[in-house]
Amino acid sequence: MAEGKVKYEPQIYPGKDETSERRRKLWDKRRKLAKYREISDDDITRLLGHRAVGALYPSVHPPLEELIEAYDPIKNIVVPTPGARAGDRIRFVQFADSFWHPPIAPHGRLRLYFNRLRGIDVVAYSGRCILEMRERDLEAAMKMLLETEIFNPARTALKGITIHGHSLRLDEDGLMFDARRRYILDKSTREVVYIKDQMGRVLDNPVPVGRPLSEEECRKLDLAYTWDTHPFKSRTEVLEILSRAAKLRVLAGFNPELLTEEM
Amino acid sequence: MKAKTAKETVDLYDDLGNCVGREIPLQALSPLYNPYMREVLDLFKRLAVIDLGKLEVLMKKGMAGWETVVGQDENRMPWYGRDLPLVDRAKEIVERIKEKVEKYGDGEPLVEGAGKYIIVKIPRRMMEISASRDPTLTWTAVALCQAVAETFNMTPETDPDGCNMLKGAVFGRYPQSPEFPPGGPVSTFLKQSNTVDGLGSGFKAIMVNHLVALCNKRTLDAVALTTILEQAAQWEMGNALGWFERYQLLGSAYQGFNANNLVLDLVKENREGTIGDVAYSVVRRALEDGVIKVKRTLPSGYKIYSTNDYPLWNAYTCAAVLAAVIVNVGASRAAQSVSTVIGYFGDLLLMETGGLPDPDAGRVEGTGQGFAFYTHSIYGGAGPGAYTLDHVIPRHGSGFVGPCIVAGMCLDSGTQLFSPEMTSASYFKIRERLPLLHEPLKKVAEAAERIKPEVMKG
Repeated sequence: MAEGKVKYEPQIYPGKDETSERRRKLWDKRRKLAKYREISDDDITRLLGHRAVGALYPSVHPPLEELIEAYDPIKNIVVPTPGARAGDRIRFVQFADSFWHPPIAPHGRLRLYFNRLRGIDVVAYSGRCILEMRERDLEAAMKMLLETEIFNPARTALKGITIHGHSLRLDEDGLMFDARRRYILDKSTREVVYIKDQMGRVLDNPVPVGRPLSEEECRKLDLAYTWDTHPFKSRTEVLEILSRAAKLRVLAGFNPELLTEEM
Repeated sequence: MKAKTAKETVDLYDDLGNCVGREIPLQALSPLYNPYMREVLDLFKRLAVIDLGKLEVLMKKGMAGWETVVGQDENRMPWYGRDLPLVDRAKEIVERIKEKVEKYGDGEPLVEGAGKYIIVKIPRRMMEISASRDPTLTWTAVALCQAVAETFNMTPETDPDGCNMLKGAVFGRYPQSPEFPPGGPVSTFLKQSNTVDGLGSGFKAIMVNHLVALCNKRTLDAVALTTILEQAAQWEMGNALGWFERYQLLGSAYQGFNANNLVLDLVKENREGTIGDVAYSVVRRALEDGVIKVKRTLPSGYKIYSTNDYPLWNAYTCAAVLAAVIVNVGASRAAQSVSTVIGYFGDLLLMETGGLPDPDAGRVEGTGQGFAFYTHSIYGGAGPGAYTLDHVIPRHGSGFVGPCIVAGMCLDSGTQLFSPEMTSASYFKIRERLPLLHEPLKKVAEAAERIKPEVMKG
């Protein structure tokens, strides 16, 4: 975003409390997310399950440079992503986020993706959030999604299908319920290990994704306002904005000329 | 419209950033006054296309009476098949249709052959005495059947089954079934009127991909053409009267006709940016232009913005949601995300401005979310290009959603199952014969320039 004439900095989200601050951080692309673990490129490819490790990227159309397209100046302005340029397929990843102090929630993912990623397609529904991108762009984005503070191996999960479980109690190992048992807690290393890819297909080699975060860490990183972290009373500013938004939408929708500066 | 704004003007820019109309009064961008828009709307109502190649195949294979566009082989009656060289004798068929139709016209050529296609415009005289726009379909179908019967000497005496087959191939099961065969040999730009529900939705009754094809995938031209249709529909459904006139005119000027180069500026500024960047850019731009201002600062330092000119802020946000679609789809060159951007862009603006209404007071967001739901995973996966603008999912709002969908489909580089090349191949061809539809953005501005003195006088 270019510098303009007025003094303006994106403010992202209202609120003084820690949860608001947490939301501001995640959704502000100027701020770096803390790295918690490392997952290799090949393991990411395995978890996604869209292509074999080392295989070429299949394409849906020839590279953009080879396409003969009708003249349109707009197409020369916006810079295509590497995946688009190569004509990659559109592939997806879907995350489910537990109710129990997750580092991010579906609606939060949506805003995070909107702010931090280019060329995305995303829909949030209930406890899940799907992200679709060109294949190599998706794999690149997965680094951030799995390695940083927005992933808690125990309470965030890759669930391409059979997503149910985000609102259930955690299991005896503290993991979010998964009807397909894609991940287990390795008792010897204390790490969460994916034994199946996101579609529930058994992996040849299990993929470790790091240790579950401690309860303290979970509370610290929690994106949600809850009674045992930051109850709704601490949301004064957020509530004010939400009620103002609702009121102004109704008034402006009824008669656009009703709104004044005083409102 | 507010009295103080009667002489309100905007500058219009094309997709290269050239000013194509300076100080254009808003009123001159209304479909009620702009002569170019009226011509386009007239064309959309009066134009039908015959696909002789298609009819030839249907006649040969004895296919007729199907009910869905993807099930065109529902009924096959090869024993009634007729091997008629329709395309080879297209010239003769065109002449015969001309004889029947053009004599009621006012001198303008109404019937034109274009390879295997025939383009037919219905005489104004007929349209004027018609309660509806139905003659476009009925006249064309009847004229076609008569012309084919004459050319190949088909009568109930010479070839009774052939006559029946011809009727079946052109009219399908009509009137037992209220709709002509979808994807059949005779089609009109707008869906047939008895299948359009919602008063005043007629001009929205066209598939997104058709519009994309009619503009040969040139993004801002397609946006302009879609805006003309959408805004005409808004007037027709009574949604642009009184309180809403300036709102609609400003919204369509900024989003549809690149007023003050806002859309292009936002796209250029964020050519390597994200959807969020566009939201913050438009807030900055609105602050610079004095459209919004800081009302007060909350204890956290968060600022609440307010506006004295909501219709103008709305126009800025509608332009921004289009720019966000262009920036995001332009990056991935994949159109499926159109609904997502439409559905959640407003949310970013609400949170950034402290609750100032998002595009179309939230209607764009609501429509987009429903659209996203039905174009993704659990409930569907439908391609955005295959929707008509009057479809029950994307139809809501005040004409500011359609242009975004069309823009997205223009930028798709071949990821869609329902691509414009697949659903609307004939429209790419027809476009070549319809110079009126070339460069609509520029033509809207030129026409507005022409009527400027008149409009300024009031």
